[in-house]
Amino acid sequence: MKYFFRFSVFTILMTYLLIFVGGLVRVSDAGMGCPDWPKCFDRWIPPTSLDQVPLEFQDQFNVVLAWIEYCNRLFGAVTGLMITITCYLAIRYYRKEIKIMVPVIGAFILTIIEGWLGGVLVDTVLNPFTITLHLLLALLIVVLLIYASLQSYYLYHKSAEVESDYPNSLKWFIYATGLIVLIEIIIGTEIRGGLEMIRNQNPLVNGIFLLRMLGPFKYMHTILGIFLVGLAYFIRKILIIESLNPSRLIIGSAQAMLGMIIVQIILGESLVFFDVKPLIQLYHMWIASLILGLCVIQYTAWETSRLN
Amino acid sequence: MKKIHTVYIAGLFILILGIGATWVIKKADQAHQTPPPIIKSVPDFQFKTHDGYTFTMENLRNKITVLDFMFTSCTGPCPIMASNMSRLYEQYRSIPDVQFVSVTVDPDTDTEDVLAAYADANGVNDDRWIFIRSDIKSVKELSRDGFMLFSDDLPAGHSVKFVLIDDKGRIRQYYDGTDKASIAILQAHLNLFLKNLDS
Repeated sequence: MKYFFRFSVFTILMTYLLIFVGGLVRVSDAGMGCPDWPKCFDRWIPPTSLDQVPLEFQDQFNVVLAWIEYCNRLFGAVTGLMITITCYLAIRYYRKEIKIMVPVIGAFILTIIEGWLGGVLVDTVLNPFTITLHLLLALLIVVLLIYASLQSYYLYHKSAEVESDYPNSLKWFIYATGLIVLIEIIIGTEIRGGLEMIRNQNPLVNGIFLLRMLGPFKYMHTILGIFLVGLAYFIRKILIIESLNPSRLIIGSAQAMLGMIIVQIILGESLVFFDVKPLIQLYHMWIASLILGLCVIQYTAWETSRLN
Repeated sequence: MKKIHTVYIAGLFILILGIGATWVIKKADQAHQTPPPIIKSVPDFQFKTHDGYTFTMENLRNKITVLDFMFTSCTGPCPIMASNMSRLYEQYRSIPDVQFVSVTVDPDTDTEDVLAAYADANGVNDDRWIFIRSDIKSVKELSRDGFMLFSDDLPAGHSVKFVLIDDKGRIRQYYDGTDKASIAILQAHLNLFLKNLDS
């Protein structure tokens, strides 16, 4: 049974790494590095020189971009395999545990859809809506995996949240945080998509100016960000002042969440005031996905304490 | 103690990821900033535009040009090419340094009037998209010798390529005028040339 928990944690880490690599493909604009799918320039291993590229693809070949995109696909394939193994381990050890089986099978089905969506992305030459959906599905997969993994942890550590007692209001704060983080991620991808669209039409204008052209979207993103700091602060306060014996896991995740949201605001504003730097954009998206994971940790801990 | 260790390891891991990502972004940026090589210069030619002016090699200088070969009564790939060219024409509306040139490969049918009506139908209302014509022999020469495109069976067998020509009248790259992925790369290259033109 321990195998499942350990392997699922490993799978979660790998999924987060894949989200990072996917973001890297996006910020380095290498999404069309391979113009076909699942093969890359009609080969299973991408070409390293132009003479290996079929004639009809020659205008689209760039060795660096092809290999960046190929690494993403390779990572995706390995992670997909790991999720499949996680699913197998769940069936083997936890067939009767609905709270493990349902999310793991859900994650497995979504992984298949996610792979297919990767192909659609290439077919539609990176349609912005499909890009957002691709990210949202990845987030949903990681959320389901975290939930299932923690459920197996609590099965194994029965005493983990036994002495803890959290007020009911905590649940609503966690729900609100999760929902707003999700909205923020969607607005964020829209800002990025909008930025790209304006940049295509105004290739000579610099990044900061373009960001200012997005106006209301950007302000809403910042306001909700500041609102999130408040929510994270209250969650931490509820845990420390109003809760009885809060577990180290939930306290730690609340501290980390508050810290990460503050870092997010600094990163986000630095994109506006300095320049739209790809590396900062990448971390901005990735940390948002980590915050969502922390919400799931808090919710599961709260739910377990209620059941106890 | 264990908690501090975890924090350190996580921090180190994030740092290593950042260093790796920086390297990849830099490499990708270099790849994006590398303009396509010079293939050859466009030879001298003298054609007529759809509004009656003379159009020569000199008109390709000091502008970035996207050029294709087409004919107005074509029902094959031409409508897709025209629609893609039209989209580019709209997207670069605010940039007079970019021009679009369509050469008819059926000059007998495509008179100046026919070309003018076709331009109108495609929403052309300024001089950034020009339709040009000449006698079939000159067209064939320009297509085959000037642009090294398949030209044995004109008009039906014309090429579907979009050709990117730099501000010195040199051919830089060919793109598939019917394929969105290929046109996305054309746009990236076009933007790159524009930036260089500006600086």
